[in-house]
Amino acid sequence: MKKLYLLLAAFLFSTTLINGQLVEPNHPKDYTMGNPQMNDYCRTCHICENPTKFNPCLEQCARHGAQFSSTHSFEAGPDIVIIDKLSKLYKPVIFSHELHASMSEMSGGCTLCHHYSEDSGEIPACDKCHKIKPDLVDLNKPSLKGSYHRQCLGCHREWSHENACQFCHEEIGSSDEVVSTYDKTDIVGVPHPLISAEEKYIYQTTYQKAPVVTFHHTDHVDLFGLKCTDCHKGDNCARCHDTAKQEEPKIESMTTCCSCHNENNCDFCHSNQEKPSFNHGVSTGFTLGHYHEDVDCNNCHRSVSNFVTPSTNCTDCHIHWDVGTFDHSIVGLTLNEYHEEEDCEWCHIDRDFRVEPTCDECHDDMSYPEDLPGIRE
Amino acid sequence: MGIERREFLKTLAVASGSLAGVSSLKASNKTELNPDRFGVLSDLTYCIGCRKCEWACNEANELPNQSLDSFSDTSVFENMRRPTSEKYTVVNSFANKGLDGGALNVKVQCMHCEHPPCVSACIVSALRKHPDGPVTYNASACIGCRYCIIACPFQIPTYEYEKALTPQVRKCTLCLERTIENGQLPACVEICPTEAIVFGRRKDLLELAHERIRKHPDKYIDHVYGEYEVGGTSWMYLSNQPFNEIGFPELDDKSPAELTESIQHGIFKGFSGPIMLFGLLGIIMKVMKKEEENE
Repeated sequence: MKKLYLLLAAFLFSTTLINGQLVEPNHPKDYTMGNPQMNDYCRTCHICENPTKFNPCLEQCARHGAQFSSTHSFEAGPDIVIIDKLSKLYKPVIFSHELHASMSEMSGGCTLCHHYSEDSGEIPACDKCHKIKPDLVDLNKPSLKGSYHRQCLGCHREWSHENACQFCHEEIGSSDEVVSTYDKTDIVGVPHPLISAEEKYIYQTTYQKAPVVTFHHTDHVDLFGLKCTDCHKGDNCARCHDTAKQEEPKIESMTTCCSCHNENNCDFCHSNQEKPSFNHGVSTGFTLGHYHEDVDCNNCHRSVSNFVTPSTNCTDCHIHWDVGTFDHSIVGLTLNEYHEEEDCEWCHIDRDFRVEPTCDECHDDMSYPEDLPGIRE
Repeated sequence: MGIERREFLKTLAVASGSLAGVSSLKASNKTELNPDRFGVLSDLTYCIGCRKCEWACNEANELPNQSLDSFSDTSVFENMRRPTSEKYTVVNSFANKGLDGGALNVKVQCMHCEHPPCVSACIVSALRKHPDGPVTYNASACIGCRYCIIACPFQIPTYEYEKALTPQVRKCTLCLERTIENGQLPACVEICPTEAIVFGRRKDLLELAHERIRKHPDKYIDHVYGEYEVGGTSWMYLSNQPFNEIGFPELDDKSPAELTESIQHGIFKGFSGPIMLFGLLGIIMKVMKKEEENE
């Protein structure tokens, strides 16, 4: 009996392991027990090679990534922040927070800089952890000065290829009257300028059978309602702001497209010639009338990731339409007094509104469209 | 046949005895190092080449200096530089070697070796290894032989050739007065905006360096320069490029001082040199005498 209990316990333990139950529910990243490969990300917090729940071998770690509420927007933060806690050789930095926050939207968002939040969700001030005086015990944690400079220069160096201190702060008591590169009065309330893009981009790809890919940028933004960050998510500033690069920034990888489009359907994007922009009637056989063309795609195609063709029968969507609730004149035909009270089925057989209506049910000598049950407008 | 068997064995015994004495003797005047001695870790991947360390070093050591702003000039990177008698530290830049394809900047200064060849070469002990790390210089003891300059594997010490009467050997002091005597950071470490250079206990820095390599094996090459080079140095480097490609000499794990010291100090240990010499002379005399008698 004892053996049985032991076996049962072992079985239960192993299933817990397999199901990954040993991982904390608020663990920063999905971790599957079937794939216990430690990567750089794991190593930011776990010191040993085989961390378990009982021995997670965590080090003091604040690189979990901050949790911002989903409704947090960059406008919610301060407009400008004056960084003056350190000014010794240089004047305080007037940091255009809103401008940088809006830029970060394309490059990792707020957590790019605010890498840590308390359990309460509150984002602590930088100097709560990064002290002004260097920590001689935790040598890996930069002091406030090091943190600021690493954070700023991480991007600034990438695109400017220089380390001009004066770009951000002026030297104290400088005789040369060094002027900061930008006008401080000019940055208040200024978000990142709108980025202009071409209506379409034509790419010559290496796919030999059909090398031309026409990407209708405007369609994706205006018609399909994609946000910039849906595609430009991992962008760094240098992609646009690299002063050494002259060419237009491009998204090279097919993976961006294939996050929505089926990658096995090559012909959808690839062709031997330029493709016209999207036309619902041509592509799907269902021409959008002037009521449907203003409707959001998602109203009919419920799942964006899986664009299921919805039923084209009117009452499948407009389930409340019936005699009395449906104003027939919107289709361009106002029913006369003999017909307006009749059931839909009298003319639309089986309530299938896609096929032509018929008069046969009541009238032997009449037919649509020669004879009409009302007045055509 | 001049030498008899017994005489030959005697000679062999004396010779091998004195040889064994040489090899078993170790350098005896080595400084006992403090296990908590200091050092600096320079992570080249963080260095932005702003040269503020050069400015701060000049200020701290009262060397000729220019305005802070003038150090933004990057045209000095066109030539490889070495420390001079008026510059204890210089930054060199290696184009396209950095992490994002930009420049990789290397700060050069005295490495403050654990077992410094310059200290070993100094015949008047003007250069000494401080138990807490720095290699110190006492100008009043220096006789200006400049052996230290030749001995240094990193070509660091320089000489004030322009001063006719009071020339000194010049090199980085690891800001001994600031750090060990006043608990401050070295001037260059204090000013570094990105904290690419970190001052701390040598053993902690080594731990930190290996920790960074372990966490980012794709970023760093698995080599902490100065951990073992010439028996270890107080300044250590982390890089994303092989060190021999960015101006660092490829050196043995043993200090060059170890070999010379073991021979020189060994010879004179326990008066063994003179004993060996006179022993050998005695044997030769005896052999000669016997040969004469035989004739």
